[in-house]
Amino acid sequence: MAASVAARAPAEPSLRRAVTPWGSFSWGYSDVGADIFVGLGLVLGAAAGASNVAFLFAGLVYVCIGLAYTELAAAYPVAGGGQYFVFRGLGDIFGFIAGWAVLLDFTIDIVLFAWSSIDYLSKLVPILSFTAHPWVHFVVVFVVITGLALLNIIGVRESSAFNELVSGLDIVSETSILFFGFFFAFQPQLLVHTMQLSWPTTFNLMNGVSLAIISFVGLESISQAAQETQRPASVIPRTSISLILTILIFALSYSNLALGMQPWHALPLDAHGHTQPLWRYLGNEENNGSAVAVLASYVPYFGALAALYVPLLGAILLLISSNSGVFGSSRIAYAMSGTQLLPSAFQRVHKKFRTPALSISVFCGVAIVELIFAALPSLSPHVHALYARLFRGEDGITFLGDLYAFGAAASYSFVFIALISLRFNDSQSPRRFKMPFNIPITFRGNRVEFPVVAVIGFIGIASILVFTMITHEIGRIAGPTWLILGTIGYLFYRRRKRLPVFRSQPHDWRKAQINILQSAGELEMMDEYLVNIRRMDERRVAEHIGPL
Amino acid sequence: MHFVPNVAGVTIAFGVLASIAATIYWMLHPPSTASDRAATATERDISEIIGSVIIVFSQEIHSEHMLSLAVRLARRERAELLAAYIIEVPRTLPLDAEMELEHREALGVLQVAESIGRKNNVEILTDVVRTRNVAQGVLELAKRKDAHLIVLGGYREGKYTGAPMARAIEVIASQAPCDVLIGIQGNKGKILTPPVSDKRSKTVPAEQPTQL
Repeated sequence: MAASVAARAPAEPSLRRAVTPWGSFSWGYSDVGADIFVGLGLVLGAAAGASNVAFLFAGLVYVCIGLAYTELAAAYPVAGGGQYFVFRGLGDIFGFIAGWAVLLDFTIDIVLFAWSSIDYLSKLVPILSFTAHPWVHFVVVFVVITGLALLNIIGVRESSAFNELVSGLDIVSETSILFFGFFFAFQPQLLVHTMQLSWPTTFNLMNGVSLAIISFVGLESISQAAQETQRPASVIPRTSISLILTILIFALSYSNLALGMQPWHALPLDAHGHTQPLWRYLGNEENNGSAVAVLASYVPYFGALAALYVPLLGAILLLISSNSGVFGSSRIAYAMSGTQLLPSAFQRVHKKFRTPALSISVFCGVAIVELIFAALPSLSPHVHALYARLFRGEDGITFLGDLYAFGAAASYSFVFIALISLRFNDSQSPRRFKMPFNIPITFRGNRVEFPVVAVIGFIGIASILVFTMITHEIGRIAGPTWLILGTIGYLFYRRRKRLPVFRSQPHDWRKAQINILQSAGELEMMDEYLVNIRRMDERRVAEHIGPL
Repeated sequence: MHFVPNVAGVTIAFGVLASIAATIYWMLHPPSTASDRAATATERDISEIIGSVIIVFSQEIHSEHMLSLAVRLARRERAELLAAYIIEVPRTLPLDAEMELEHREALGVLQVAESIGRKNNVEILTDVVRTRNVAQGVLELAKRKDAHLIVLGGYREGKYTGAPMARAIEVIASQAPCDVLIGIQGNKGKILTPPVSDKRSKTVPAEQPTQL
């Protein structure tokens, strides 16, 4: 039970609050920041001349998601992220479904970023090229995933300092690419021309929007680090909003630059011997996994330097992101197991290494199955023909993008509903940050603020979920199948354990919240919370007894 | 190929640069909590209060172990630091009588003080004061220098461990015109107790002949 777990926490050794504002930011950045390295090429390939519009739409939804996560992580500074918010706001079964969707995302995260990391490295080591040597690419990605799993089982993780360094270097690098790209080679008239000439069909635009959302996945990381962040209630809103802005600026700038940049050198001719625009070159099967590095190499003057280091920096950032998938999946499974949403086996730690070895093995195993599905069309002509017939010939990385978008959209949808629910049912918890534009209303005698932006965000993310279902042949089947199979397993497990199947177990959220705030060092918030609940209790007693 | 920057492109380039820089700057300066504000106010008060610090040495006041602490305090608060060695001249002798051993001891101790100050980038003023009574000498010095803080080390020399506060320290503490910080080394203390190799000045009693 979460409350009892939280109640014991102060007496047991707890996570040290050592994460600084920059540490918290880079924790999230090493996850979300890597997304644009993958998302740019995919969106350009799908949404063509409207890629910037696709990023804008997904970006606005992402702002709403980010604001929701910021509010919730500051109010509930506890490891667990979206899964915990939904669990707390909507109860056990929805907590499971949201957590299960997040787990799907984490497993995809492992494969997609390991895959893309090798794509970026292939710009320096051509034998790793996916199109030229699919078997080599497959084997190397397989080895990377297995290696990350083993390192996590042994308990080796990259240090926070390394994360912070790579994030810092990447921000400088990406800002430089954009600065020099816009400064020397951006032509507004070319942007307008490309948008007019290469505007996609509605179907492709929806496809592009659903892929663009993958450029914004990973805010979970900041929420998950909340328990280790110094002064989380005041630091997390800043780091989250900064992360939202930074990623949004990068995504919108890259997409506009790709559509309106005059390349430094002439581009290679396409397969039919025709000249091709930059955006199409970046979005083709050869480059869509490493679009940022290719774009950087075509930035005038700066491209000479960028071509040397951007593939390597991108590969490292993507590898960190892949590793965060391994770590995050085992961590979420551990937390879900602790609240009896998953079997206790997922809480079991390795006797020697003291790590959740079973969780790591299971979810890395799932990741490898996903890798095989993604790589098969390129490895076997028969499977390629089959995919072409059944799934409109989606390539490997698009298959992974499909599922990533599905998992993210599904879990984010629940987070919005949970936020609305918590505003009504837990109005006593102090919120140092609130989403803007709220309508004050009275609910069961309590004054609550109805979050308009959460509703807008929910509509936005739900529409992206619908786009994903409409446009992604594989995502449409594999995503819901994952959720349905997981839910069946959950129901079976809860029934076997004689736990409430559709209802929630009783939780002492008050005690849990006091302990959360106390262990977060947010003593002022704790005092405020205690005053709020005392007032509410007094009012209830007064209402129950009536006037004397 | 030669590239001529476009006005719109240049504007966007600087816009991207400025917005990223502003975002990161804003992030790194989060609002402070009540605890942070209280801590800052306390530190500010201390820095306003601590203007000059005197660290006192004598035959019976061994402040070597307080030196490092005093130097760090002075550096942090940008306070003036005066290391004073008080030589108690017996009434049987004139005040300016030659007391070779004591003077050498004073020079040694003050040299160590200067060295610690140099390592910590703090300028230490040193002074050897001759007086009939250590306590009175320190009190007069504090008054003359308008000291804000007197730093004293306890008297811990094996047989005196039961009474680490020498008489002079008690007088200074009770009559000082400013704050007094007294550091007593614990039996197994680590913060104020220097490593064995650094105990020269403390373990060599001033009364014993010193090799010149």
